[in-house]
Amino acid sequence: MRRILIIDDEDDIREVAALSLEATAGWHIFTASSGALGIEVATAEQPDAILMDVMMPGVDGPTTFVAMQQIPAIAHIPVLLLTAKVQGVDQRRFAGLGLAGVLMKPFDPLTLAQQISDALDWKD
Amino acid sequence: MPDDEGKIEALLADLWQRHLPLLRERLDLLDRIAADASTGTLTEESRLEALSVAHKLSGNLGMFGHQHGTETASQMEKILKTPTPETLRTLAVLAAHLRHTLAHAL
Repeated sequence: MRRILIIDDEDDIREVAALSLEATAGWHIFTASSGALGIEVATAEQPDAILMDVMMPGVDGPTTFVAMQQIPAIAHIPVLLLTAKVQGVDQRRFAGLGLAGVLMKPFDPLTLAQQISDALDWKD
Repeated sequence: MPDDEGKIEALLADLWQRHLPLLRERLDLLDRIAADASTGTLTEESRLEALSVAHKLSGNLGMFGHQHGTETASQMEKILKTPTPETLRTLAVLAAHLRHTLAHAL
């Protein structure tokens, strides 16, 4: 069973993503409401992938990702950013980070698991 | 897949109901700030607050099937991000449109 960590400051985004991934793919979901908490959960739980919002109060998603890359215990975990829009400046910023991918919000709860699998080239 | 679809729709409907109070608060806030914007009394603090709310709505209304609401909230977010006196005056219309779009679900 895949284990996914969702990091988003919005309660409803976390809940919808979690219930959709649990219901459609049977994955085990962990959640965190900030980048700092996400790093703690990722270190403790070692998920197979992390789905993280871009815009969060305080430390945003890209900055959290950069911090994760400095922590050997979690640097290997693929990270997908979740963003409401990708403009040219964002694309350039994201491209150089080494992310596993970028998914768009709002997402379709019925296809989110498939989008993640496609982005990470998961065949199962 | 049909089973998944029905299960998710039921879960989404339950989640939507639970988040209605917060959604109503957010729509009220956008109404107030749009009114301030139309009278030229919008403060920077209020603009940033409304920008955050519009961003959140643009990112989550579509998950619940309210794609048109996402688009309207996204328009408001764009205006609040780089406002001009002309575009700020359109916020009230967009706020009313957003409320109208969601009226059947509130």
